[in-house]
Amino acid sequence: MRPADWLQATVASLKAAGLNYEFLLAASERASFLHGLVVTLELALAAIVCSLVAGLLLAAMLVSRHRWLALPARGFVEVTRNTPTLVQLYCAFLVLNMLITEALKLSGGNPLTPFLWVVVVISLHKAAFHAEALRAGLQAVPPVMLEAAASLGFTSTRRLWLVQFPLALRFALPSLVNNLVDLVKMTTVASAIAVGDVTYQAIMIWSQRDNVLELMLLLLLFFSLLTWLVNQGGRALEHYWRIPGYGR
Amino acid sequence: MRNSFHTSTFSKFTVCLALAGAAAGLASTPAHADATLDKIKSRNKIVVGVMLSGGPFGSIDPATQKPVGWNFELAQQLAHDLGVELETLQVQPSNRVQLLQQGKVDVLIASMEWNAERGELLSFAPTPFYRVGGVAIVPADSGIRRWEDLRGKEVCISQGSSYIKPVSTEYGAIPKGFKGAPESLLALRGSNCAAAVHDATLLNPLVASSPDWKNYRTITPELIPGNSVIWVRKGEQDTVVAVDRIIQGWHKSGWLIATEKKLGITPPSPALPELHNKYKNG
Repeated sequence: MRPADWLQATVASLKAAGLNYEFLLAASERASFLHGLVVTLELALAAIVCSLVAGLLLAAMLVSRHRWLALPARGFVEVTRNTPTLVQLYCAFLVLNMLITEALKLSGGNPLTPFLWVVVVISLHKAAFHAEALRAGLQAVPPVMLEAAASLGFTSTRRLWLVQFPLALRFALPSLVNNLVDLVKMTTVASAIAVGDVTYQAIMIWSQRDNVLELMLLLLLFFSLLTWLVNQGGRALEHYWRIPGYGR
Repeated sequence: MRNSFHTSTFSKFTVCLALAGAAAGLASTPAHADATLDKIKSRNKIVVGVMLSGGPFGSIDPATQKPVGWNFELAQQLAHDLGVELETLQVQPSNRVQLLQQGKVDVLIASMEWNAERGELLSFAPTPFYRVGGVAIVPADSGIRRWEDLRGKEVCISQGSSYIKPVSTEYGAIPKGFKGAPESLLALRGSNCAAAVHDATLLNPLVASSPDWKNYRTITPELIPGNSVIWVRKGEQDTVVAVDRIIQGWHKSGWLIATEKKLGITPPSPALPELHNKYKNG
């Protein structure tokens, strides 16, 4: 059977079971749904990378002995962590973006795309959680080890990045993976500002066809798969980075 | 009530319940002729889903936090004419059909025009209470003069809007669907789309009188002008008859024309005098 026939047969048998997946037979809707899957992947990947980088910097600031570094970082973590992501996204995209656009008199091609705003908001939101997880890791490194490093002549910066941080990362890894699983699910807020992620495409399809349940099932399956992959990746890293004889 | 759902919706609904692990007890509810009207009478209350997307057709009064505007006036009058209490629930284009089908609201007065697909899915009182089409709003200095100029451009719109299909298939624009009109309009002001397409009844008053929108203009003629009707769940014929009689009464007495004037809706719709003339002798 050719793929098209196979698809048609599957849709027909699902229809018999009471599930309306006919949108898969309409080329444009199928294409936009598949594109939505790709956009969600792009969003998740971009936000994972950016959030980890930002989280790392924030954590370094949080444990800094300099108050001018530690205090702003603490303030940022508290504000970001304690407000809802959707509200942050609306504030950023609908308010901040509008003010910037009107101030700069940008008309037509706005370089600050909705996609960019979603990546920025999710990354910064999750960076706050990463920073707290990493701070727990940094503070779990035994003081004797830091003293040993200091006695070997490490400066405090080199000690942070070469001794304290590699251990902290291992301690914090399960929490970080936990945050990343949440991050993947959080990409669905993109649908609120018409970024063409998979949730958005599903809403656009079901608001025309009223097949909410069918698309919900697909969304659940897709996100389960994504979060499972993130989790597997985390496990593999835990295994790869384990220090024989240290911890478990 | 549950037995009166449209068949396919009903089967979906049961699957949904099974998934939630709560199917027990609901499938065995006994049948009624028209459950909606029964429910309204027995509770002595009608739940109306109203759209409050801003402007004279429906908004929230900032001072009192109460709904005001055309949709709400009609809901109040409908409850009054049925002789029951009114409860309103604010709905969005993206959830109004679901809320009605799930029985969260009894009827919808939600700027929702008749079209063939919706006619398959839901029942409605056939006498329209208004006629409305879509217009596009663009910055005054934009190069867009006609609908045809939207080809290949991004257009902000509400998720579930009936204008999505015509702007994309007829004029080749790329619809960007937001949760509702307020988000879509803010995105337009942030230059994230070339135009926004919504009901003329929402956009005309903005351009006419809102200082925030003085640098914007609208694109006409109205896109797919349609009849706004009151929607009920599929097959609720007694409710349809009762509501339709009330709407005809509104046309006959000229109450709708008076309400339009009272709310300062401009330009006045030519459909209302037309319908008034049709029903005043009937």
